[in-house]
This record gives sequence, structure tokens and C-alpha cells, in this order.
Amino acid sequence: MATKAGGTGRFTQDEKRRDSDHVSFLKHRSFRWLWIALLLSGAAIAGYLMIDQQPRPNGGTWYGYTLGTIGVLLILWLSLLGVRKRRINPGAWSLKAWTSAHVYLGLSLIVIGTLHTGFQIGWNVHTLAYVLMLLVIATGIYGVAVYATLPASLSANRKEMTRAQMLDALTAIDRQLESAAQPLGREDADLVIAAMNQDPFSLGVIGRLTGNFYGSCRTHYALTELEDDEPGMERVYPLLEKRLAQLDQIRGQLRIRALLEVWLFVHIPLTIALIAALTAHVISVFYYW
Amino acid sequence: MAFLIRTIDFTATGREIVRDRVAEQASLTIGRAAENDIHLPDLAVEQRHVRIDTRADGTLSVEALGTLGFGLDGRVVTEGVIDPRTGGEIALGAARLAVARESDGSTSITIRQVVAEEGKTDALRGFALASVLPSKRAMSWVFSSAILLLLLAIPVTSHLLRTPAKPDPTGKTPGTVLLDSAWSSGELSSKHHTLADNCESCHVAAFESVQDETCVSCHKDIGEHAARPRLAKGSPPLSPGDALQWRIGESLGKEGPLGCVACHSEHEGPVRTQAGSEAFCGDCHEKLDTRLTDTDLANAHDFGKAHPQLRPIYYASFGAAGPVRAAPGTRPIERSGLKFPHDVHMSRTGGAARMAVSLGQYGKPLDCKDCHVLTPDRMSFREVKMEDACEGCHSLVSGRTAVGGFSKLRHGDVKDLAEDLARISSGPRPRVAAGPARQRPGQIGSASPYRADFGRPVRAYIGLSNALGPGGVCTECHLPTRGPTGQADLVPVNLPDRFLTSSFFNHEAHTKQKCSDCHAAETSKAASDLLMPDLKSCRTCHLGASAVKTAKIVPSDCAMCHAYHLPAGQWSAKGAPPHYKPPPPPPTSESAAAKLAKARP
Repeated sequence: MATKAGGTGRFTQDEKRRDSDHVSFLKHRSFRWLWIALLLSGAAIAGYLMIDQQPRPNGGTWYGYTLGTIGVLLILWLSLLGVRKRRINPGAWSLKAWTSAHVYLGLSLIVIGTLHTGFQIGWNVHTLAYVLMLLVIATGIYGVAVYATLPASLSANRKEMTRAQMLDALTAIDRQLESAAQPLGREDADLVIAAMNQDPFSLGVIGRLTGNFYGSCRTHYALTELEDDEPGMERVYPLLEKRLAQLDQIRGQLRIRALLEVWLFVHIPLTIALIAALTAHVISVFYYW
Repeated sequence: MAFLIRTIDFTATGREIVRDRVAEQASLTIGRAAENDIHLPDLAVEQRHVRIDTRADGTLSVEALGTLGFGLDGRVVTEGVIDPRTGGEIALGAARLAVARESDGSTSITIRQVVAEEGKTDALRGFALASVLPSKRAMSWVFSSAILLLLLAIPVTSHLLRTPAKPDPTGKTPGTVLLDSAWSSGELSSKHHTLADNCESCHVAAFESVQDETCVSCHKDIGEHAARPRLAKGSPPLSPGDALQWRIGESLGKEGPLGCVACHSEHEGPVRTQAGSEAFCGDCHEKLDTRLTDTDLANAHDFGKAHPQLRPIYYASFGAAGPVRAAPGTRPIERSGLKFPHDVHMSRTGGAARMAVSLGQYGKPLDCKDCHVLTPDRMSFREVKMEDACEGCHSLVSGRTAVGGFSKLRHGDVKDLAEDLARISSGPRPRVAAGPARQRPGQIGSASPYRADFGRPVRAYIGLSNALGPGGVCTECHLPTRGPTGQADLVPVNLPDRFLTSSFFNHEAHTKQKCSDCHAAETSKAASDLLMPDLKSCRTCHLGASAVKTAKIVPSDCAMCHAYHLPAGQWSAKGAPPHYKPPPPPPTSESAAAKLAKARP
């Protein structure tokens, strides 16, 4: 770098921006939000230990109400990330900073929420809200973890093919299979037709997440049923093997994407459910004061 | 090496036209230019796009001639190898060239035009997990509506629409609010457990905290620790946080820090209500005099370190109307009106002991329990009755009855005594003997009817004044005095039923101790000794709650001897309710003389 760090030249500033573009939201501004979250959690724990809460610590003491208020405000703000990320507007509204704060302040909610309960857990709306909050946080942790690890394997699995190319390849193989399978008898031809007609996306959630594909795979079934040394198989069998390999790649893509996306299907609906449970919690507490 | 080039086209009506030609050469070029072996009139194809060469092993190498790649089995490459036995497909623009080995050994290239696939992007959606899951929005709606309906709307609606009912402490009335059990933050205490299904018995109105009025509707007999203004004045200042919470709470209708629920917090699990801790009492009583300047109570917070001297009540003068509390640090002289040297009675060798040994009802020297019997509440002792406790030795037998029994003087009322003495003086007449035992004339014996009828009448008077006077039978135990008109009388007996009235002492819990460990009865020579132990003797075993428990030391918080709502009584879960009913003020023991005084006009 020719110019000194901290310079005011336009180039330096652009470099700084470009550098920061490649800093993970977890490390944003040297973990600024991590420190803020740790400070908040530490302060909450210290207060819990030092403040004499009569008759016993729970959500109904002044400290409990304070923690509860901080908690509910945090939850509402954290849930606004979904709104914020859809609003592309100018101003000092770094989405990265917002995401960083979302992750770390969300984690600090474990401490704040738990202290707010005063460790009183039961089968009631209050604990429902607490458990929903923990589930949302747990799925969030999972989400951060898979975003950090899975994209690499997703990319490796693609082998420089786009999703459309994967499907094209499958279609190409199918066209060849169609002509190659002409000499086959009825039974064998049916196996090939069944393999070609199966939708590669017919896997359900469980199938996608577990990667247990072969149970219902017709191509795999056809390969186990057909003999590669039978007459007419010399083209069909290798094509079916190619088809299975292509399917494996597509399904690998499905599995990794499922692992990458599944948390949001829990995180988001449970967040909304949490806000509903929080509403019921707050209202019920004061309804039966 | 020959290639069979087969072009498949479609007519406008959809009919397939197949044209075959054979190219006898080892390599082919494909492109848009007319000179290519396979000519594809498609703008997306280069002029000379691809060349296919036959390799020595029979496979075909396919290679792009320009920079633009081509599709080989679905993937875009610039060079590749096709084994004609398994076949392959080359994509160039809209054309698909399927390469295959024919049965005659030649390689066929079948050219077809494909229609651009529509809805391909739709097909790509299948990659996303969203394609097999309900949408997040739908799930959010379902979850949140279910929660809001079940846990909020139904309880609130049924609460608003219910017919309010009076609280039923028996718990037999079920609650009418639906699903509000999901609102309970914890189980109710053991005593309130019957109310668990009826939230609205305590939570009467919406958004209104539980009111004292509701508590008192069942707990009618509960006593206030002190008057509310004095409680407020004596309480220490609240912490800023608590003060703020109470200010907000009170502005919203919550009863202040002196309300029932401020201490009795519920939904803390199925436990018994705990008595206040030493710190709880100490909050106010440690420095009570600084806030409640006119109080008679001394400061107290730790029994071992800061507790005022015990102040038993006693009668300070003969025949006093009521007992007084001993001043701290004094040796009270009790004026009970009795003569009773404890040492004489408790001696293991003296005359009293000898006499008790000789009597069947004792059979051994006297013990405390021969006279003092615990009350059922184990706190104090029953009144000592002359007839039960004393008369075995201090007999009031006055003579033989005609039927062979004994007559005795009645105890308790001087009037009765006078009657009984008069009867002795006139004496019961022996029956006139009906048998042959004839009396000789002139023999006027003491037992004769003559003596009884005509003897001197002074004995009755002498007897009464003798009995009440010094050396008489009554003054063995009682103190003589003169009545309002100068007649002989006895000092009334005054003994309180309980000596420590602001606390309770469970004698049964102390059965490991001997009575004389605390009450110096063995050495007390006179009834004027008040045999109540002092603080020091308690502290040999009992120290404050923070003391370390040992074989001898019992850490004792305030609630061991004091109760909050009933300072003089012990909180007890046993016994017939209401267990917290305050006892009547300690009555003075009604002595015989007191009754006598009442009977007199």
C-alpha cells in the first residue's frame, strides 16, 4: 500500500471500504457488538447477583421487570432484521452492522431471558415464551454455523455447474437413454421409463435433510435390477450409471441447501410465534396481576 | 471411419422428416458456415464451432475451435471425449447432436432441434427447501394465531363473560375462566392449593392486583402486626428500585408494601408459607427507635447479639388489679399472696420428701410435674389447684362423717370455710344407739348429744379466726389479712397464666432440659422469687440465626419465639382453624379471695 493507513485520500477510503466488504459480519468492527453483548450480559448477571430481590428473584421484582423490558425490546428490535434487510436505502444503516448486532445481542438474550425467569420454569405461557426464545436463538446459532461452513461444500458439490446445467445434463442423459433403450424388452424398458420419469426433486424434507436418497430412487432400483451384460445393455447401463451420478450431484445440492435453509423455516415462524407468546405473557401477567 | 449423420426436422404439421447421409471421414467440423460438415443455421453457433476427431481407441475427441464452448452432456466445456459405445450429447445453440454407435459399427450423429424450455426457472425452485415446506409466512400465521387464541383470547373472553362468584376456600367451586391455568406462573402454596383451579377467586378483576380485601374475606381473624401508619413509619426506606416499582404499582392500583401480597408472594411452588427470616424482622426492628421514636420496644435483630432482656409479667403488690411487666435488669419481687418455699418441697431428703414417699399417690420425693401440668398448647402450665396439688399433704380433713367417711373443709371461698367450721363446732351427732349399750347416768362424754347440744358455742368462732389467723390451717400457705370490716381474711392469690406474653416458649421442645436448669426452684426459699429465667440462660443454647449450629448451640431466628401477625402466639398449621386467632388478654388468676370480694356487696 502506497498510502499510509488512515489516510484521507479517496483511494485509501475506497480500499478501506473494499476491505471491510470482505470482513465477516461476525468480525464487524473488531467484534464491536460481541463486546457490547458481553457487557450487557455481564451487567445483567452482576445485577442479578448483587441486587437483593425480595422475596425471591423472579420476573416480578423491579429488577425482573427491568430485565423483562430490555428483553422484549431486544426481541422486537431483533425481529426487525427481516424488515431492515429488505429496505435498501441510503444512510448510515449498515446491514452488516445490523446483522452483527442481531447475532450478538440475540445471544445475550439467553442471559437476559434466563435471569428474567429467575429460574422458575413451568408448563405455562411464560415458559412457552422463554422456550420459544431459546429455540429461535438455537436455530440462529445453527444458521450462523452452517453459513460459515456449508457454502464451501455447496460450491465443491457443484463442480462448476449451475443448477440449470445440472438439470440440462440430466435431460441430455435422458434423451440418450430414450434412444439407447429402444432394443430393451418390456420389463427392462419399464424400469428405464420409471427411472426417467422420476422427478429429481421428489424428495421430502426428511429425505433432503438426511441424505437418505436411495430408498425411493428408481434409477438406483433400475441399476440393481438390470444386468449390465445382457444384450442391449451396453449403452443403457452406463447411461443409467451416469444418470445416477448426475442425480447424486443434484441431490447433494438439495441436501446441502436443505441443511443451509432449514433453520430459517424454524427461526422465522418461531420468532413470530414468540412475539405472540410474549404478547400473551405480558398481558396475562398484568391481567392476573 | 464413417459417420452416419441423421437430421431430424419437423414439418409445420408436426410430421418428422429424417434425412440420413454418410460422411466417410475421420473428423467432422460443425458450425454455422456452409463449408462445415454439419451446418447449423443458428446465430448462437460460431462459424466454425466444433471439430470431432476419431481417436485411435475408437473414442471421439470433441474440441471447440473458437473461444466459445459447447454443451457436452449438459455441461459447458471447450473440449471433451465421447465414447460412442455409451454415447454422448453435444449441445450447440438449439441443436442437440446425439452421438451413438450403430449396430454396424459406424458412429451416428443424430441432430435434433429442441424448443427452448419454458418454466426452467420454475424447475430450479425445486432446489430450494421451500419447495417442500409450507411457507414461513403460513407457519407464522398458524403458530401465532394458535398461541394468541388459546393463551390469550379464550381466557380473556371467558373471564369477561363469566358470572363473578364469591371466593370459595374449600376449592370445591371450579373456576369458570377457560385455559387460564396456562397463565399460572407456578404452583400455589400448600395451604392455597385447593384454589388452584379457580384463579379468579383471588384474581378478581382484570388488570387489578390481588387486593387485601380478597385475602381478608377468608382470613377474617388475621391480626395486624401493628397499626398501618406505625408499620409504615417503622419500616426502613425502600431501595430506589423498589420505591420506583411501588410508586408505579400503587399508581396502577396495587396495594403498597404493607399489603398482604407484598410479603405473601404466591405461585412459588407447593410449599408452606415460611415465617419471616431474622433479616426480615431486623429490617424494621434493628433500628426501630430511630424511626418510631415513641416506641416502647427495644431494638432487636439477633438473639445472640441484640435482643432486649426478657420482661415477664408479674403481680408487684398484694391483691393488685393486674400484672406489670418487669423492668429490664431488675429482680422482681412477686406478690402472689402465697407462701410457698420451693426449696422445701423440692428437697430430696426433707420432711416434704419423706411425706411424699409415704403417700401412695407420689411414692417418692416430689417432682415439678406433681404440681405443674402443661397446657395443651405446650406453652404454659395449668393453674395449680389446691385440691389436686397440695391437699395430699396439706389436708383439710375436719372430721369423720356419720357414714364412716371424712368430712373436709372446702377450699377456695372463706364463706364456705366458715360454714364448714361451724358445722364442726355443732358437730354431727352420733346416732342414738339402738342396741343394748346403755349409757350410765351422769356420764356426759365429749361425743354425747348433750355436749353437742349444750356445750359452749365459742369453738366455731375460735376455729374460724384460728384457721385464718397466724398458725391456722389456712396460713400454712396463705397470707393473713383483714377484710374491709376488720374481719379475718386472706390475701388474694394472684398469678398470671403466662409470664412471657410477647413471645411463646414451647416447653415440650425443651424436655431434654431439667426444669431446674432454667427455673431456680431448688434454691428458692420464698414465693416472692420470680423463677423466670433471664436472657442469659436462653443464650447458653440459643444464638442468632447466623450462629453456627453445634451440638449445644441452636441458631435461632425471631420466628422461633415470635410470630408476625400474632406476636404472642405460635404459628401452627395443626389444630382447628383458625389457628391464628389471637388469644384473649391474659386474665388474672381468680383467687378464692377475689371471688369472695366479688361475692361481698
